[in-house]
Amino acid sequence: MTIRDIPIINLVRKPGRTAALVLLTAFLALSLFGGTLVVTSLRQGLKSLESRLGADIIVVPSSAQSKSSFKNMLLQGTTGAFYMKEDNLARTLEVEGVEKAAPQIFLSSLKADCCSIRIQVIGFDPETDFIVQPWIEESCRAQLGDFDIVVGSNVGVSTGEILRIYDERCHVAGRLAPTGTGLDSAVYCNMDTMKLLLKAAEAKGITHDIDSDDEDVISAIYVKVREGYDIGKVNSAIQGHTRKASAVRTKSMITDVSGSLSGVSRTVSWLIAAIWILSLLILLTAFFMIANERKKEFALLRLLGTSRRQLSSLILKETALCSLTGGVLGTGTAALMLFPFTGLIEKSLGLPYLRPPVPLILLVAAASIAVTVLAGSLASARTAARLGRVDPGIVLRAD
Amino acid sequence: MKKKTSGRIPAVIIAGLALFAAIGSRTFLGACVHEDGSFGTCHYAAMAVCGTALVIMAEGIAAAVWNNAAARRGLFLSALLTGVLGILTPGTIIRLCTMASMRCRTVMRPSMMILFSLICFSAAAGMILTGEH
Repeated sequence: MTIRDIPIINLVRKPGRTAALVLLTAFLALSLFGGTLVVTSLRQGLKSLESRLGADIIVVPSSAQSKSSFKNMLLQGTTGAFYMKEDNLARTLEVEGVEKAAPQIFLSSLKADCCSIRIQVIGFDPETDFIVQPWIEESCRAQLGDFDIVVGSNVGVSTGEILRIYDERCHVAGRLAPTGTGLDSAVYCNMDTMKLLLKAAEAKGITHDIDSDDEDVISAIYVKVREGYDIGKVNSAIQGHTRKASAVRTKSMITDVSGSLSGVSRTVSWLIAAIWILSLLILLTAFFMIANERKKEFALLRLLGTSRRQLSSLILKETALCSLTGGVLGTGTAALMLFPFTGLIEKSLGLPYLRPPVPLILLVAAASIAVTVLAGSLASARTAARLGRVDPGIVLRAD
Repeated sequence: MKKKTSGRIPAVIIAGLALFAAIGSRTFLGACVHEDGSFGTCHYAAMAVCGTALVIMAEGIAAAVWNNAAARRGLFLSALLTGVLGILTPGTIIRLCTMASMRCRTVMRPSMMILFSLICFSAAAGMILTGEH
């Protein structure tokens, strides 16, 4: 046995004490890694929502129900179907400052014999669209013909499978990359397919609350404002120019979500801080008590010729080993709690939630373990310095 | 011969985890509950998981009370293999609901995978710890 083996032998010899220290540091690592991952995932989700919305203004039917239904559709993936006259698109394009305007039509299927699953269907015009097309290009590069659909990442069907929507067999042409928003629970098709599905739904007796004899309807218009124009003024102009429609600035929608996210983030940060302060206090107390308990042990080691530096380093090594074990255990437990239950967390929070890329997760894990080891070592540093200066004569004579 | 730890503790852990999985799969960790009372395929996945967990529970209890080390090792091996079946049942062997936001995918599947993984780990530990008489 050499002096290098002593830290491990000491830890093994006192399993209860070691287990307590490991558990405490595991708790530190769990709170830090878990909390950081949740907040980072929420931020990723918000960033994803901003990039997916892509438009400066969204025009929807003017009823309050439509606006909240649209917001719920984006955030929680609940299905919604609301309509306004298609001529609102032309009216929007007439407004000065509007660079692009892309229409979409929404339809929700039923949980019934006519349909494979209850799902949100979104029709877009490939000629004018600047929201869904880039997403399709990034994810799967699918070409959409009649009755071809691309599905969001939360829809559990594979490319090539058939999805029945109002008894129409729709072919899955691709899957989109996850966004962490309600858009992951929708399927997308071109306008021709959407109009055929609307007719199929009406044939099943599903009416769509369309206040018009005109068959041509749309559900939303995504507007890109020309550079140099004030978005607020363009928004007001669209509001005045369209009929039975409201123009909503996407920035205000994102600000709402961002506000909720800040609230959750603040709560998580306070929780992490509280856990850390409490745990560090317990660690400091524990090390103080351990120091008193082990005075004789270190006095004997000093008598045997161990230097003060070696003694201090011995204690620091023991603490570092405990903290490292606890750090790995805590990070692993947090990963086990968070990753399998991503869907549940997303649903419970009701906010965009997107797991960060693997390299970032590994970086956060490594940082959490490193900080835990550092904190544990710092908590024992004073004890290590004190025990290193112990006078063997005084300690052993004390009996 | 050197007498090692008997391995009864892993057997008790296995029985406890399996009981938790059996009860959970039919209650708070269970499949989707439809408003109209109808069942999806996830309902049958939950029933299969419950049955598998009950078998593992019986194996764990038998391993805890049986004195024969070889028989105990056999029971641990059986629990490990049945645990693998339990991991694969929801989602792989029996399909679940199509939408990833449904309860069977957000709650039942991940919780059963974790519980059965812990059972497999305990069974492996039990096999190693079981002594020779």
